[in-house]
Amino acid sequence: MSITNLLNNWSFYRNKRPYRGQYDLNRQYGEYKWAMAVDLDICTGCNACTTACYAENNLPVVGKHRFEHGQVMHWIRIERYWDEKMGEFPEQGTSFLPMMCQQCEAAPCETVCPVAATSHTNDGLNSQNYHRCIGSRYCSANCPFKVRYFNWWNYPSTAWPAPLEDQLNPDVTVRTKGVMEKCTFCVQRLSEAKSRARTEYRLVRDGEVLPACAQACPTGAISFGNIVDPESKIAKMWKNQQVDLYKDMQEKDNTVRGYRILEDLRPFPSVMYMERVRDAEA
Amino acid sequence: MSKSHMLALFNDFDEASAAIRELKASNLEGFDLKDVTLKSPIEHPEIEELLGKRPVYVQLFTFFGATFGALLGFLFISSAQATFLMQPKGGKPIIPIPPDMVLTYELFILGGVYITVLGFFIGAKLPMKRHKLYNARVSEDQIGILIKAEDTAMPAIKDLFTKHRALEIIGEGGK
Amino acid sequence: MINTFEEREVEVERRFVRKEKDIREDIAWAKINSDVLRSLERPRMLFWVIFLGSLALFMFGVSCEIYQYETGLGVANLDNPQVWGLYIATFIFWIGMSHSGTLLSAILHLMHADWRKPIYRFAEAMTTFSLMTAGLFVMVHLGRVWQFYYVVAYPNERWTWPNFQSPLVWDATAIFTYLTSSMIFLYIGMIPDLAICRDNATGFRKRFYTFLSLGWMGTDRQWANFRVTYLTVACFLIPLAVSVHSIVATDFAVSQQPGWHITSFPPYFVAGALYSGCAAIITLFIVLRYVFRFEEYMTMPILEKTAKLTFAISMVWTYLNLVEYSATWYGDDMYAKQALIYRATGDYAVFWWSMNFLGSVVPFTLAFKKLRNHIPTMLVVSILLNVGMWLERWMIVSPTFANGIYPWTMDHDQWPAWVQWGMVAGSFGWFNMLFMLFCKIFPSVSMYEVKEMVYHRSLHTKAHGEPSVNHELAAEGGTAS
Repeated sequence: MSITNLLNNWSFYRNKRPYRGQYDLNRQYGEYKWAMAVDLDICTGCNACTTACYAENNLPVVGKHRFEHGQVMHWIRIERYWDEKMGEFPEQGTSFLPMMCQQCEAAPCETVCPVAATSHTNDGLNSQNYHRCIGSRYCSANCPFKVRYFNWWNYPSTAWPAPLEDQLNPDVTVRTKGVMEKCTFCVQRLSEAKSRARTEYRLVRDGEVLPACAQACPTGAISFGNIVDPESKIAKMWKNQQVDLYKDMQEKDNTVRGYRILEDLRPFPSVMYMERVRDAEA
Repeated sequence: MSKSHMLALFNDFDEASAAIRELKASNLEGFDLKDVTLKSPIEHPEIEELLGKRPVYVQLFTFFGATFGALLGFLFISSAQATFLMQPKGGKPIIPIPPDMVLTYELFILGGVYITVLGFFIGAKLPMKRHKLYNARVSEDQIGILIKAEDTAMPAIKDLFTKHRALEIIGEGGK
Repeated sequence: MINTFEEREVEVERRFVRKEKDIREDIAWAKINSDVLRSLERPRMLFWVIFLGSLALFMFGVSCEIYQYETGLGVANLDNPQVWGLYIATFIFWIGMSHSGTLLSAILHLMHADWRKPIYRFAEAMTTFSLMTAGLFVMVHLGRVWQFYYVVAYPNERWTWPNFQSPLVWDATAIFTYLTSSMIFLYIGMIPDLAICRDNATGFRKRFYTFLSLGWMGTDRQWANFRVTYLTVACFLIPLAVSVHSIVATDFAVSQQPGWHITSFPPYFVAGALYSGCAAIITLFIVLRYVFRFEEYMTMPILEKTAKLTFAISMVWTYLNLVEYSATWYGDDMYAKQALIYRATGDYAVFWWSMNFLGSVVPFTLAFKKLRNHIPTMLVVSILLNVGMWLERWMIVSPTFANGIYPWTMDHDQWPAWVQWGMVAGSFGWFNMLFMLFCKIFPSVSMYEVKEMVYHRSLHTKAHGEPSVNHELAAEGGTAS
């Protein structure tokens, strides 16, 4: 019964996450931890990832008016930052940053959801349960990256007039008004790959599955994979950039470019960015 | 040997307490102090003291209500967390103690308040039917003394009330 | 009129030597009953004006909600960083409003401040109704209000529970506890008065009050149990009230947003709650005093005491406010400091500065005895204080969204749409409507406690031999005992 359950598993229930050894290739349900790396030095800001995301994840196009009102639904957005010191041609100093849900290991959004509509999955994703969401928007209020998007309007009835509804991805839910949504690392692709691998008694191979943004990126700025597998490309990239999933604010050499955004808030994001710190006057 | 009721209304609270004090001292046959009921428009702790020890058990209800509210609250919350598919949230433990304490505290108060009020209803015997000797003036500005005594003792008590300037004495059956 | 030297002497003594009394001690108890019961029958015309005006406002709010329900929250002009807006700000405002009832009925009860007795009943009703109003905003603000019951921990076959870590669940639990407890407290304290209503009513009202008064007869057994229960529930309500607004404060304090992630938020919120609640008590005091002709019970000395209390609490609030600013300013949290600067200089600067002015400077009018005793001034000041406190809540919620941690969210101003303003107005209509209905149906001055107050004070006067000084008031009314 419940009390016996509590007493027997107390130490397990009191575990904090992320802890080293949480993900392990040999442990059932711990063999995957999806992670991403974005190389900002080769990102051209072409917005192909955003377009691919719109197509893959049934994102509604909200129109100019609602875009101006900040009610846009892009799960991955290209942020542009200008260097003020560029003088006459500030565009030369533009740097781009594709921003999507960082799938934090200690996600600030998860703890505050009153109905547990968002929680952590075994493969390290920050899941969003549309059916459970009541739209209190607390997750968005507490998200430091502000990458959660709320359905302010009833998009299913307006965003895809016939025959556009034929282009909707049948693997992805069309979200109604009043629910929160966000980047899922294209969880529909991950689930499919995982179950295909399971039928063949193996793990998902490196590069076997990619989210739409990584697949569409023309310069290959976005890398994706299972960081638990030490032989995977993404694990090697993280290791080379001295970014440790379980650590916050670690000491790094000057030669590496990798960092995670807002690490000092300790959300332990699953996305690593790489950028050479530039000096405009040099 | 049949018992009946009598209600005396007083305008003066000091006279009412004097009447009770005298009743207490009188040792009348067929009359007991515990059959005296005081009816008053406001609280009179000082007159109630004259009526002897009449214990109130509300605090007992409070104690058990608050204790069980807190205990059951904590057990309910933590076992619900443990059985809810064990979804870790935000890197926190599955059973995080500080948030559970907040809720336990609220349920402690919830149990305490509810059971206290239950104890009040039981202790004050509410809801009840009004006694037929109830007089509306008691809710206005007069104090009433309702006694239950043997019929033989009634005349003496009535005299006592009259002596203490009772405004009105109402007996059962218009006596 | 002061004509002769003797009259002048008397006047000087009345004003300066002896304090004016909170209530006449020689007021007849039958008169207390009839005065209060009269309020259940024929109030002044203003009652119906307020009631119908509130009803109209409420209906407007309802139509806004229907529109928003049908169309989606986009009509409120909320957007990605600015996800909460006026709904949550007004929610905190109403929760705060509810604290004054507990202050008057529970804290002052334990402190034996008996001047609270004529005014605590309506303050407690205010607690209940403002909590109901606050609950409304939780609903209105939800994206899918038709599924709000997911927050309730009800057993179901899927074994899904709400997330007990979320401050919103703490909120729901705390507000449920507070709402039901304060309703019970209000009702229990009203039972002796309902019995009075029962004894004086006829027809269907008699049946109504007979049912509600549960056969209360005022026996010693009932009073003894009543006394203990009232005291016990009062002792529970004080920590409960503090915990409720602390929990509302943790909605913000446990989050990571700059300007919210502040340790001093819980006491700051509690002080703000008591502050706006006391100001609201003054407003409603003046309205009720006029509408129901309660001049003899809601007297000027009581108003003055309430005003002094409000002044004291306003200074506590000011102190905590300054603590928040200085802790942020001298602290090491870069984001919080930036958010503070944004509040003072950014898009919300006008509201932020007027919040500080209304909250910290305007209460100094309460420091003057002349102004404390001037009813129109007090009405205006108390409303201004509440405007300030509403702005305070707005200034907590919105600027943080407009200037978050992440650069993409910075400098994002979004003016609330008319739907939001409509619902804020509608909430005032809803509250006033319920409150006015309550005062019409139930005795808004506690009759039995006013009697107790009069009784104990006259005993005290008898014992200490103080003569009655209110010459002009001693003209009418008999003695009680």
